[in-house]
Amino acid sequence: MGSAGLFGSVLSRIRSPLLRYVVRRLAWSGLLIILVIFLTFLVFYQLPSADPAQLRAGRLATPELVAEIREKFGLDRPFYEQFWIYIRSVVTDFDLGYSYYKNLPVREEILSRLPASISVALGAFILWMAIALPVGILTALRPRSRSDRAVTGATLFFLSAPTYWLGLVMLFLFASDIGRFPLIGGAGTYVPLSVDPKAWFESLILPWIVLACGFAGLYARMIGENLRETMATDYVRTARAKGISERRVVIRHGLRAALSPIVTLAALDLGFLLGGTILVETVFNIPGVGRYAVDAIQNADLPAIQGTVLFGAIFIVLAILVADILYAVLDPRVRY
Amino acid sequence: MIFPRKRHAILAVAAMAGIALLVASSGTGAGEQRKKGGTLILLSAGDVDYVDPGQAYYSFSFQVLKPVHRALYTIPADVLTAVPDVAAGPPKLSNGGKTVTVKIRKGIRYSPPLNREVVAADVKYAIERAFALSLANSYAVAYFGVLAGSPAKPPKTPKPISGITTPDKYTIVFKLKRPNGAFVDALVMPMTSPVPKEYAAKYDNKTSTDYGFHQVATGPYMLANDSKGNVKGVGYTPGKLIKLVRNPNWDAKTDFRPAYLDGAEIREGFTDSTVASRTILNGGADFNADFGPPPAIIKQVLSTAKYKDNMYGWPLGTTYVGLNTKKAPFDNINVRRAATFVLDRNAMRLALGGAITGPIATHFIGPDFSGKGFEAAGGFEFNPFPSPNFTGSVAKAKAELRKAGYANGTYTGPAVTAVVSNIPTAINQGKILAASLAKIGIKVNLKAVTTDAMYTKFCGTPKNQPELCPSVGWLPDFKDPVTLLYVTFSGKFIPETGNVNWPQLDDPKITAAMEKAQLIGNAKARYTAWGKIDRMITLTAGAIPLQWTNTLNLVSDRVVVAKMKDVQGQVDLAYTSLK
Repeated sequence: MGSAGLFGSVLSRIRSPLLRYVVRRLAWSGLLIILVIFLTFLVFYQLPSADPAQLRAGRLATPELVAEIREKFGLDRPFYEQFWIYIRSVVTDFDLGYSYYKNLPVREEILSRLPASISVALGAFILWMAIALPVGILTALRPRSRSDRAVTGATLFFLSAPTYWLGLVMLFLFASDIGRFPLIGGAGTYVPLSVDPKAWFESLILPWIVLACGFAGLYARMIGENLRETMATDYVRTARAKGISERRVVIRHGLRAALSPIVTLAALDLGFLLGGTILVETVFNIPGVGRYAVDAIQNADLPAIQGTVLFGAIFIVLAILVADILYAVLDPRVRY
Repeated sequence: MIFPRKRHAILAVAAMAGIALLVASSGTGAGEQRKKGGTLILLSAGDVDYVDPGQAYYSFSFQVLKPVHRALYTIPADVLTAVPDVAAGPPKLSNGGKTVTVKIRKGIRYSPPLNREVVAADVKYAIERAFALSLANSYAVAYFGVLAGSPAKPPKTPKPISGITTPDKYTIVFKLKRPNGAFVDALVMPMTSPVPKEYAAKYDNKTSTDYGFHQVATGPYMLANDSKGNVKGVGYTPGKLIKLVRNPNWDAKTDFRPAYLDGAEIREGFTDSTVASRTILNGGADFNADFGPPPAIIKQVLSTAKYKDNMYGWPLGTTYVGLNTKKAPFDNINVRRAATFVLDRNAMRLALGGAITGPIATHFIGPDFSGKGFEAAGGFEFNPFPSPNFTGSVAKAKAELRKAGYANGTYTGPAVTAVVSNIPTAINQGKILAASLAKIGIKVNLKAVTTDAMYTKFCGTPKNQPELCPSVGWLPDFKDPVTLLYVTFSGKFIPETGNVNWPQLDDPKITAAMEKAQLIGNAKARYTAWGKIDRMITLTAGAIPLQWTNTLNLVSDRVVVAKMKDVQGQVDLAYTSLK
């Protein structure tokens, strides 16, 4: 029996359609992640990036030293061999190798930075959804009103404002050390939640606001549009005809359907952000995965680049899976 | 040492023109009482390369490690000339300069958890380990390869070197393959800092050493560690924080450093130089470590009275355009001379930030080598390719091209390629170079890549090297011209990869003169010889000198800015105090 046949046989033994769906999706996700790693390898080898052996050896190094380093890190082996060794280590031990530049285990480095990235991403996500939901509902229920126009204007402004620029503006206005109106936090003030929850919260307020601004406007617009369309459908009219309160109609019947398409987008965005919010982490000097990725790229540190790409891909794949499962919860018509 | 990447990048984006260099006052008299205590805060964009003194080769790393690991000799911030540090006195040369004997100072002790006294065998091991692949030290062979018995091919782990012996507990003897004047100067390098073999060997014998994460210190400060000596996550969190604290075993009687501070914190990751600079000016931190202030901050500082003592500059290193002497058309000296004559070097400097970024260089040994080769090279007077205000001379360039066989003084050959760093002002400099060369018919195709790619894939790899490398430069490792000129212009050093002789200059007369100069034991005579070599190199026009660069530093109001400028252009933490 071939592997595909074996896999099919395993699948057929799973009785729950949802579980069968999840297993199938995870298998495909694994292949997708391998493809992503392969593409990263390809880009690293084909584009004119720096020579890691030379960087590791330094400027006055002898050719013998460079050659020895190349051998030590396996950089003298063919492309496909290096790829195979890497994939094997990842699959068997989830070993992401050692950084060429710092000689530190990449997995540990990423895991130590993950809480910072998760803090930034989750906090911003909660903030933008907390803004987008009520504002979206408000604009849907009062189309072409002042509030609707204000949301449209704000959305345009924040979507047009680059995150890095917005971050700098916030720092120069409100950071406690260099702000014109010193209020809170600043660059380099991040403290882990486990060390000091209050300082953690204060250090992340500005990054959350910066990251949430653009997303909140966009999501408010989308929620508003979807809800407006939903509220014009026959089943909503029927619900109203039954004498159900308007509040119940909006929340139970309108919003639930209007949120379905948002779930996919939100999951994708959150998954993407969990893999590292590069610009926000950079401008606010938060030691997360995003900043690690930037350093890795600057130092031509392939294992570190691979590690951050891998984590990013895993988060996105998982987020999409969660979104697909949530579909069934939000929309009873969806079956697996 | 090549220009620090971050600092060079920042300097390259400066856009200030015609502003005089502000040099901070350094008028503190000898014996002045300064306040003791306090923690200094430095901000950095990136991280040190290593915290192991046997591996570090980056000016930022040297700044952090200098007050932690005492080398055999050091260049203190107040005299800027080498003095004995772990050594008890000057080195004694014998056997025609082939034997160097150094006595070790008694009473220096390692920090916890080791706590024992430093002995000569520790210096021997420190140098031996630097040759091992597990450390992959960048400069060991270049400066210490002259040691008898030193390995040509790096051993995987540290191995004894027969040319280093320790006849007694406090004496170390170096036997050289041949006399070498610069060897004594190189004893200031951090790889001569003692390392205890019985403690470090278990780390050094790994594929890649992690002694740096378990290190013991000899200086007034140490990287904070736990009771087992672990530094990682305590005193050093890569990419985040470096924390220096007092070394409890440091005895001021064995040292000349004042060491006023209780410690220092280096906060990393401040990649936005404007934010970091403002934090320093507002008193949220005290110094910039690996980046320079951006143009807007320079302008603000120079135009604001209250900031007059918050910035200072320090001359250091030389930048130049490398012309590939192995490729047409620059394999012809007259074409190279034409390019040197026609280049608008004033515009090149304006692209970097103008006068504040340093004087226009006319040869390679700069004014920071005053008394050590600068005057012998002709000082500010030696300018073999003059033009009005350094704006370039088309007439002289055309005359050179006619000598090269181009009848009407205009180049008619194929276009050439220039690979530049992809930072904005390096690209601008590339454009200025292209515009200058276009005046004599040389069309330049610009290719912008990352700084590291430029060095490792193009300009440092002879088979891929383009005709022009306009974004190169060199910093001295110590105060001997050999560190500026030898590996960068000697025909002996043109490896297949990692080449830093960017012109690929292979002039037998120059190479021979360099080999001869290295044998000169008398420092003054040696500097004079290197000065003459500098003139010879300049006249080949293999590289067009651009600037004797200034590094710019910001300092907060709470710091006493006196006697603390290090030879690498940065503050020496052991000489810094707070108000």
